Amino acid sequence: MTVLGNAKLRSAADLKHMQEELRARHTPSAKCVRVCTGPGCAAKGSPRLYELFCEAVERTGADVEIEAKSVGCHGLCECGPIVLIQPGNIFYQKVEEPDVAEIFRETILGDRVVEKLLYENPATGQKAVTPEEITFYKVQKRIALAGNGLIDPTNIGDYIAEGGYIALAKVLSSMTPEEVISEVEAAGLRGRGGGGFPTARKWRSCREADGSPKYVICNGDEGDPGAFMDRAIMEGNPHAVIEGMIIGAYAIGSEQGYIYVRNEYPLSVERLKLAIEQARELGVLGEKILGSSFSFDIRINRGGGAFVCGESTALMASLEGRPGEPRAKYIHTVESGLHGRPTNLNNVETWANVPAIVNHGGEWFSSIGTEKSKGTKVFCLVGKVVNTGLVEVPMGITLRRIVEEIGGGIAGGKRFKAVQTGGPSGGCIPAEHLDARVDFDELTKLGSMMGSGGMIVMDEDTCMVRVAKYFTNFLQKESCGKCTPCREGLSQMLYILERVTKGEGEVGDVEELEGLADLLGGTALCALGKTAANPIVSTIRYFRDEYDAHIKEKRCPAKECRGLFRYEIDSEACTACGICLKNCPADAITGEKKVPHVINQEKCTLCGMCWEKCPFTAVLKV
Amino acid sequence: MRKGKPVPTVTIDGCKVEVENGETILDAAKKAGVWIPTLCYHPAVSSDASCRICMVELDRGDWRQLVTACNYPVRRDIVVYVSSEGAQQARRGVMELLLARAPESQELKALAERMGVKETHYPKVTESQRNCILCGLCVQVCEEIIGQAAIGYAGRGVDRTVAAPFRQPSEDCIGCGACAAICPVGTIKVRIHEDEQEVEISPFKSRAKLLICEECGAPIISMQVSEQALGKVEVNCEEFRERVRLCPKCRRSQTAGRLKAAKFCKKES
Amino acid sequence: MTEENKLIGQIVDLYDGEVGMLIPMMQDLQAECGYLPADHLRCLSRHLKVPLSRLYAVVTFYSSFRLSPKGAHEVTLCLGTVCYLKGAGSISEAIIREFRVEPGGTTRDRLFSFNAVNCVGACAVAPVMLVDGKYYHGVTPESAIEVLYGLSADKIAAEKEGSA
Repeated sequence: MTVLGNAKLRSAADLKHMQEELRARHTPSAKCVRVCTGPGCAAKGSPRLYELFCEAVERTGADVEIEAKSVGCHGLCECGPIVLIQPGNIFYQKVEEPDVAEIFRETILGDRVVEKLLYENPATGQKAVTPEEITFYKVQKRIALAGNGLIDPTNIGDYIAEGGYIALAKVLSSMTPEEVISEVEAAGLRGRGGGGFPTARKWRSCREADGSPKYVICNGDEGDPGAFMDRAIMEGNPHAVIEGMIIGAYAIGSEQGYIYVRNEYPLSVERLKLAIEQARELGVLGEKILGSSFSFDIRINRGGGAFVCGESTALMASLEGRPGEPRAKYIHTVESGLHGRPTNLNNVETWANVPAIVNHGGEWFSSIGTEKSKGTKVFCLVGKVVNTGLVEVPMGITLRRIVEEIGGGIAGGKRFKAVQTGGPSGGCIPAEHLDARVDFDELTKLGSMMGSGGMIVMDEDTCMVRVAKYFTNFLQKESCGKCTPCREGLSQMLYILERVTKGEGEVGDVEELEGLADLLGGTALCALGKTAANPIVSTIRYFRDEYDAHIKEKRCPAKECRGLFRYEIDSEACTACGICLKNCPADAITGEKKVPHVINQEKCTLCGMCWEKCPFTAVLKV
Repeated sequence: MRKGKPVPTVTIDGCKVEVENGETILDAAKKAGVWIPTLCYHPAVSSDASCRICMVELDRGDWRQLVTACNYPVRRDIVVYVSSEGAQQARRGVMELLLARAPESQELKALAERMGVKETHYPKVTESQRNCILCGLCVQVCEEIIGQAAIGYAGRGVDRTVAAPFRQPSEDCIGCGACAAICPVGTIKVRIHEDEQEVEISPFKSRAKLLICEECGAPIISMQVSEQALGKVEVNCEEFRERVRLCPKCRRSQTAGRLKAAKFCKKES
Repeated sequence: MTEENKLIGQIVDLYDGEVGMLIPMMQDLQAECGYLPADHLRCLSRHLKVPLSRLYAVVTFYSSFRLSPKGAHEVTLCLGTVCYLKGAGSISEAIIREFRVEPGGTTRDRLFSFNAVNCVGACAVAPVMLVDGKYYHGVTPESAIEVLYGLSADKIAAEKEGSA
């Protein structure tokens, strides 16, 4: 895809010139339709909407200055497909194919708003025209996601018009590697992949390590169930990651970088490949970048399908053509990593923050957030909230604001129970801590962790023991199997949890789980094993009563574990319609016309069919 | 760069020893005469510290870190606790998990006894291939020392096993038995099949033809091992090559016979 | 030069014989062949001078690699509690007997891969069988077999059309 002829940029001045030229192409009154084709909206058919808009644009006369763009994840996935119209930043949600013609006619050509497509505040009924008027967006602060929803990720020109690669130009023309590291240090940036390690310290250690060549890696192996932050950035603004990596490589003294993308993200691979090609064409990547003496190139490697490859040493093993098994980190990877050379690995979101830090300064970045956790964090807010989607908030915001203001509270009028952060390495935080401020150390104190950004909200119908079992099962399947405690310990813990959720728990099971958790934490070889018991430990800490009910009373308070609760028919609500009787596979329901039906508990197999089928919600879980 | 001292000191259970920069805590323990159990460690091959049985506590000032002794590199003065409650508890926990996995290995039970672990309170929840604890020594010795790499790991997690490619008898196995020799829990066995004149490495089902004694018909050694060894020997003596085709017993008889015939021993009349 | 030698040679050259790019090489091979044939892996081992046991370790470690081809169709039989109560067990046995395929495997002629799973969530219409994502409900051993024979009839019809 050509942008501005084939001339390579050979200096910072060339880049500035190109930026000006691109910006000058559009008059302020130019119209632009941005269709979100991020993962959530794409699943609801937004690519087709984009096609339709493109066709409509083609058909308009030359007197109307208009273009259609396909953009990355805007964030409010619950309301997708999302379409934004410039000028005016008009926000349309839940757009369907028949709406395209109307939007075109009314808004684009007629400058009128289509009311029915506007977002409506569920509490006040007020309609919002722009995203700023929507609470979901108002509370956010977007740095890593700044380009998402704005630029077309398949066009480097878009990125440059919005200020892309200016940070790189600044670094190459006026900063020394040590100055770059100092700026990131002043920013206080900490790794966004879960570890939270101070980024500048890592860069400096790698820079000072002996050995060459040095490598720079981007960890795109996002594997936590319920997390798609990195995917949204890789697909929505790949150049932010690339620019960040080039700046980091310059600071460290590396000439070769890798982006390791999870096998299950083929679109991310495609977008990154295209971005790299365009960057090379333009001279911001490859030999003698922007005419300087610095050369750096990036290679993309796909994962083979293993969650454990998100661990840095396992990832490097994978890049060496070996099974993704972690190794001891007594000697850090910044000293001896990929192929035994000094290697600096950072997460997608970490890299995406770097250009902004260089552009606006470390001090600016550190003015956002808390004392020890600076800047913002991207979260995937999913689960039982009203507004599910992608959000970026300043560190230090309370969980309550995220769940209630941004998330819009619990769906279906149910009660909040817990929010799970940190994926399989994290824990569940209950209602009593909703006012906790989100930052690395706070979350760890509460028995969870920041993790990569997955935030799963649970309500009163969620069985916390079952949640612990789910994560333990996940980790057992994904464990590399190398070290004894992780491989055997996870199986032992899973065995106990299965017994407990089947009603075969024994007194002492909780203590056994705690003992195993201690053992894994102390003796496992890698972070996966060491943190594997966190979901269990945190649910025991805050929901011990649920464990006790399962074990001592063989009862599941949340009524999720089959066999540990019963179904009963509410004789007052029952209209004797007979639907449950007809559908019961065990013939356990009796009842005649006009007589409330009854479930024979001895025959009942607890399949839940009657509960699902009853049109009068007369079947209760007891 | 934190390269450290050239000759750091390790204080291990109160006993001070000096080691060379880069030697491990286990090396220091050996010098100090302190015993630390090991399973996946062997001085002849590289290991990954995967068994976790050699855990010791490293003094970090206000806390203690559990580390594996066999591969922790000593680069500055450190204080290590082997018999502390924390270290012992960690090692015992790991051993109990292993005993649950591999209940029939006599060698494992003996090591457990020595560590003070009489039995395990964990049930058996994973399947092992004849008590294999996945220490990987067999894989390492075959690749690093023998150079054949006939077996390797297969699968992931609880399904991880040691196997020959495609779980078929290996095309590269030369039947030397090094894997059986190094296996610390008695999983691997060398089986001689007299009628087929083959040696089998069980449980991998790999077989190799045996060199048979020309004199008495007893099996000597795998033919491939013999050929490989001969290939590395500089001796060009025909007699030597002949001698190799006899089993040790027959070779001794033959030598004795020849010595006698040579009237080597001068006995006074 | 054999077919596999040629293909492997091409793939290895594409990555300049770099062993670190083993996984991308295997991904390319699988994209070409639909799975990772044993002989191709032996060939790859020779080209790269990497022991076959190491290649096998890599193939069996990562979930995306297959050592046997997938069938043209994906058949999933639900063996959840309700389906089981309604006779899914005998349906499973019938399929195993008739097509000589075990759950988790693929028929010899690669017509379909057969999976047994624990509850697809359609209990109201048990027993349930899915073919390429399409739901069949109230299935019996006879009707299941009929549907699956229909797949080979489709195949024959498609081939006829192709050659016409």
